[in-house]
Amino acid sequence: MRWISFSQRIPRISVSPPRVPRWFGLLALLLTVLSVGRPQAESAPQPGAGTPTTPITLRFVSWKPDHPRVWDEALAEFTKAYPHISVVRELAPHSSTAYHDLLTQKLKNRDTTVDVFFMDVIWVPEFAEAGWAHRLDERLAPAMREQFLPATIEVGRYSDHLYGVPSRIDAGLLYYRSDLLTKYGFSPPTTWDELARQAETIVTGEQSTNPTLRGYTAQFKQYEGLVCNLLEFIHGHGGSLLTADGTHSTLAQPEALAAVQFVRDRVIGGLASRAALTYQEPASLSVFLQGHAVFHRNWPYAWELTNNRTRSTIAGQVAVMPLPGLTEGRTAAALGGWLYGISAYSQHPDEAWALIEFLSGRAMQKKFAQEAGIAPSRQALFSDPDLLVVAPQLRNYLDVLRSATTRPRSPLYPAVSHALQRYFSRALAIDGLDLAQEAAVTDAHIDRLLALTGMTP
Amino acid sequence: MSRSASILRRRESLAAGTMVAPALLVTMVFALYPVLDSLWLSLHDIFIGLPQLGSPFVGLHNYAALLRDPVAQQALCVTLAFVVLSTLLELACGLIIALVIHEQFRGRGLVRAAILIPWAIPTGVASQLWRYIFNDQYGFANLLLFGERITDYIPWLAYPGMAFGIIVLADVWKTSSFAALLILAGLQVIPDDLYDAARVDGATVWQRFRHITLPLLKPALLLALLFRTMDAFRVFDLVFVMTQGGPGDATQVLQFYGYQTLFTEGRIGYGSAVSVAVFLMILALSLTYLRAIGSSLLERRRT
Repeated sequence: MRWISFSQRIPRISVSPPRVPRWFGLLALLLTVLSVGRPQAESAPQPGAGTPTTPITLRFVSWKPDHPRVWDEALAEFTKAYPHISVVRELAPHSSTAYHDLLTQKLKNRDTTVDVFFMDVIWVPEFAEAGWAHRLDERLAPAMREQFLPATIEVGRYSDHLYGVPSRIDAGLLYYRSDLLTKYGFSPPTTWDELARQAETIVTGEQSTNPTLRGYTAQFKQYEGLVCNLLEFIHGHGGSLLTADGTHSTLAQPEALAAVQFVRDRVIGGLASRAALTYQEPASLSVFLQGHAVFHRNWPYAWELTNNRTRSTIAGQVAVMPLPGLTEGRTAAALGGWLYGISAYSQHPDEAWALIEFLSGRAMQKKFAQEAGIAPSRQALFSDPDLLVVAPQLRNYLDVLRSATTRPRSPLYPAVSHALQRYFSRALAIDGLDLAQEAAVTDAHIDRLLALTGMTP
Repeated sequence: MSRSASILRRRESLAAGTMVAPALLVTMVFALYPVLDSLWLSLHDIFIGLPQLGSPFVGLHNYAALLRDPVAQQALCVTLAFVVLSTLLELACGLIIALVIHEQFRGRGLVRAAILIPWAIPTGVASQLWRYIFNDQYGFANLLLFGERITDYIPWLAYPGMAFGIIVLADVWKTSSFAALLILAGLQVIPDDLYDAARVDGATVWQRFRHITLPLLKPALLLALLFRTMDAFRVFDLVFVMTQGGPGDATQVLQFYGYQTLFTEGRIGYGSAVSVAVFLMILALSLTYLRAIGSSLLERRRT
């Protein structure tokens, strides 16, 4: 038969399974053992014997905190006050997006092992629409609400209901080397042009002693922080991301375009090293802490670290102020911060509320402000004498925090944010990109997303 | 064919079926079901953040939108560039490594083990490693190139082209040894007498490689190519850890785009369409390869 003779022409090589060397099995075994590693010790604290009420375990999903000791102490105090409630923390990655994906994955699955969680201010519409967060209208009475900064309550609301209690407030701030500005006889800059001139003089003057000194460091990686940074430039130039009614994207407007152009032409590779395109908060802060930048944009938490002598080479030589505007007299700070929320699938909403009340209470916020440098959400703390002794910078924050700008509020915000990140990152990283055209394409894309949400302001 | 023979055959196929059944079941549950479920989801419009919209059936609408989506097109280009570059480099490096560790020399066992280490390191860890190596301030690459001249340090990952190149480099570093392993297996089945005969005939090293090793290695090379292409198409961890798709979408690959739409944006229908599209592309590629490899292998088995 023909096909047999044909096949016989092919070299006859036995296709026995590849001979795997003996050592391979051992190696594979060894590596498996190594990669599995030791199991994490996750022992749930046992409620003390003889507690009057049935012991309850609350599960608190949180990101990995910057100050774990302060958190451990705070939760220990809670357990002291409520002996029948033990709190097990489930720590997610530090990155806000990674934390979002993990938390929403649990909530999508109606996971009852989540009781309390942190909610980024930009997630409220999404969590509200998806039905993941309990409504807190009844629990947080109007008189209690008034004790918080209005902006922090406002971001926790969505279509007339309250979903979150503010744990803190965050807004973009300008940190600067007060020693260097004094040395060159400058007063803190109020516009970006002024900042650029000062930075240029200082960098040139310091060239011989500090050759790696740059004017500015901030967060320009393709991630959520990029949106905050660019929002500040755009609003600081009289532009905006969306129309006032929140239904249309306005990136192609002249002010917004000019602001992005400024960052591309003057900041990236100019005032700031091009490396800023890879920076999130920690990397950009470390540049500043090592004395490699005159100005730095960050959230309030950075204050404690800049003055922490074990981590900072510039402790005591830093001051903080509102970000400058591109246009004289304008300043804009992106509003951030974290809200406590209760999962809609929690089986212990009352105990969860007790935990939230405790952690967002005056005593605990004061503790976090004093020991972790976190800006409180309670108004009274901004004039608390004890606190102002250790955190005098709080006095400077209040105006900035009151007028901070929110990012677009939409249940599809993650999608809107991705579109913004893409546009900003492409604008800053790709040489010769046609900004106007790119902005128009992004506007159209975001408009389509916003139209889906049925005009949610 | 006699009757008893047909009964025997039927009994044999029954036994075969019984033995294959558990594997088949596992495949069904863990491979087929998710694929079909994704396919089903991709025919709907589902937004996690907008439950009031329900989950209307939209047919192939998501796929039509995908074809017009500039981000997806860009991601496809990046993915294809990644697949072609990384696969070719990995095959080349894998071939060289395999030829080296196929030779007899002192300490060969140790070298073989060492070569496998990159492959055994979890990709997430390896990605973090490479991110540190190319860090702008304390990265090893800068130290190696510029030493103490810190003003010359390059922010590697801040340039779109370089960031892409580094992702490819990290992948080549990590998986060349896997290709090497497959190719080594191929080398080991080439009978030594062929080389002896060639040597007697006066063939040079290059001639032996060109006319014996390479042709006989073809099935192994194709197999390595198949595995590496499929794997490269699914690249995700490197991008997730090192660049998050940036800068300026230069490392935005299809799988990461699918992940973003599905998990972060909560666009279940569209995200599923992206995954299914990737699945179909890999399937088409595999079938093409399998036809190339499989036909010759099957033919040989029959003789």
